[in-house]
Amino acid sequence: MVRRTCIFSISLLLLAQTVAISQDTVTVPLHVRAGFDLSGPVMKLVNKDLISYGVAASADINSSLAVTAGFRYSSFSSSEVIYDFSSRGLSITAGTDYNFIKANVSGGKYYAGIGIRYGLSFYSEEAPMIRYTNEWGAGETYLALERHTGHYLEITPGVRTSLFPGVTIGWNLYMRLLISAGAGKDLKPVWMPGYGPGTSGMSTGAEYYISFSIPYRKIKVFIKPKVRDSGEEETEGGQEVPGTVTSGSGIRF
Amino acid sequence: MKRLPSIPALAAILAMVMATGSCSDQPCYEETDPQMNTILLVSGTGETAKADSLRVYTYRESDTLKFVSIKGASSFSVPLDPGSDESRFLITLNGVTDTALIWYSRRPHLVSPECGYTIVSEITGLMTTHNIIDTLIIENKSVNLDGQKNLHLFY
Repeated sequence: MVRRTCIFSISLLLLAQTVAISQDTVTVPLHVRAGFDLSGPVMKLVNKDLISYGVAASADINSSLAVTAGFRYSSFSSSEVIYDFSSRGLSITAGTDYNFIKANVSGGKYYAGIGIRYGLSFYSEEAPMIRYTNEWGAGETYLALERHTGHYLEITPGVRTSLFPGVTIGWNLYMRLLISAGAGKDLKPVWMPGYGPGTSGMSTGAEYYISFSIPYRKIKVFIKPKVRDSGEEETEGGQEVPGTVTSGSGIRF
Repeated sequence: MKRLPSIPALAAILAMVMATGSCSDQPCYEETDPQMNTILLVSGTGETAKADSLRVYTYRESDTLKFVSIKGASSFSVPLDPGSDESRFLITLNGVTDTALIWYSRRPHLVSPECGYTIVSEITGLMTTHNIIDTLIIENKSVNLDGQKNLHLFY
């Protein structure tokens, strides 16, 4: 009896697998998400000079693409022997994320992809104390508070998964490329809010987001079925027989 | 894909390592002292001149600052006073002394987070006596860390 049940179960599984292979469409929910960056508060424990709080929102356009936007408030304060520096400001990013995972695998729950964003940083900087020394002697001066607008590009490979329905977690590395700090060549900020060290053309790091997601629509995605590679299925010229595409997906609304 | 939830821990460690690295104090290896660079030229021909002896110094209330004292000089570099909008230099060429007064505006310049700020200047004017110096002209107003020639001294 037990043996029969087992065989039945295995047969069901095999049948289910066969159905999945032959199925050419999957229904994928599209989500809107809003979340916040946990790495900012964590980093405060490591780097006491920096306070950084970020929120981000995204909306799926289709099973692969999502538009995304983020806001970040940063405050940086550094006291060195030769200068004191502080900057604070709000940065805004906007761009897209591309999910490399096929729709039939991700099912709207998983993301492993790359994003590209344009960032704007509205910030102020000041150096209340600057010490200098040369042959004339030593002295002190200061840099009064100035407001600037900086621009940068952000490339963010990352992963995200559904922790439980309605909540996703994910992290991404970021590589930010400075377009302009907006402060001229002399007063590049020691730290540009939203970007990082303003004297460097590139900054890298990682962010860790927890997000709340709401499905707002379902779409049917056409999945071209995988066909096992076989010499018999190829023509003499090596071309694939029609209907034997090994990858690719289309969207059917 | 079910392993994804465990990956954030790796990311957090990575982020911490990166942040710790960025916090560590780094030494300053860059040039931080802008110099006003002057080349000596033969008056009339404009060819490069080589002075037998050259001294550049200034008098202050309490002391004398000596910047340059060399033989066979065809150029010299001196710093401007970062605490004032004018610097006075006494230039002794082949034993004959002239006084040069340089006016400039100043502004801070961030060299790097490690090296901090320096003061760069923009020359706004100059005046010189003419005991041996024929002409002192501004070639490049910006006295910064680029090392460009700023003044042409004809004698």
